[in-house]
Amino acid sequence: MERSWGQDDLGAAAITPQEAASAIAAIDGTRSWLAGRIIAPAWYHPAFGLLAGGAIAEAEARNWALFAWSVAAYAVGCGALGWLNQRRVGVGMKYFDRRTRAIFAGHVLALSALIALACWLGLDRGVHGAFVAAGVLAVPVTVAFGRCTDQVLRTRLQAAR
Amino acid sequence: VSSAARFDEVVHAPNRLQICAMLSAVDSADFAAVRDGLDVADSVLSKHVRVLHEAGYVAVHKAARASRVRTTLSLTEAGRTAYEGHVAALHAIVGDSSRGETERPGRPAQRQHRESAISPR
Repeated sequence: MERSWGQDDLGAAAITPQEAASAIAAIDGTRSWLAGRIIAPAWYHPAFGLLAGGAIAEAEARNWALFAWSVAAYAVGCGALGWLNQRRVGVGMKYFDRRTRAIFAGHVLALSALIALACWLGLDRGVHGAFVAAGVLAVPVTVAFGRCTDQVLRTRLQAAR
Repeated sequence: VSSAARFDEVVHAPNRLQICAMLSAVDSADFAAVRDGLDVADSVLSKHVRVLHEAGYVAVHKAARASRVRTTLSLTEAGRTAYEGHVAALHAIVGDSSRGETERPGRPAQRQHRESAISPR
């Protein structure tokens, strides 16, 4: 399946502005397709959120051995999700730049704040369900930061030539 | 974009331009991912990859994994330079001076095209 911009795409001198515009449009189309492929599927960020939320909510049981297992499950789950998505996408790229690093830092800070609040309420003030509530909140927080990262990646890919 | 406008016959073929456009945005891409992006058969993609590889524009890595060979493609530094120069030339032809580096007066991009047409890479 050979494609051609025009009747004569062998002679550069014969390239018209219309043919050049078609080629540029094809580049943009390719980049849009790539951006769509790299963007995580709908289940990806909720799955991360459930892993994080589950690990936080589990602390409500006040069982340190169980908590250690849940943290290990969180780490393994994150690795597995990343591996699955990498296989689906089929491309290797530097996901982290200045903006995505800032989003990641914001995500870590937000989850840390939720955990700190849950510790203060649950362990210091004796409020029941503080860790469960923090775990539930961690899901939409993770999804929001994940979608934000997707948007930045999409913009970066489409802005590139 | 720092690359000077330079029309490249190897890059200009539609499928090869799209391959370069895809690879320039990432570090590497699986053969299957590029094939899906171009919506072409394996044989067609192989042919174009071979042309780009022989020109020194694309590196091909093969890794055997569980009785299957996984082929990964990446743009070389020469390929990136050629692609960026070619895109700059396309923008110069279209007249988008904000993207292509055009010399004034005259239309250097088209002058370069004629030069490259006389002595293609």
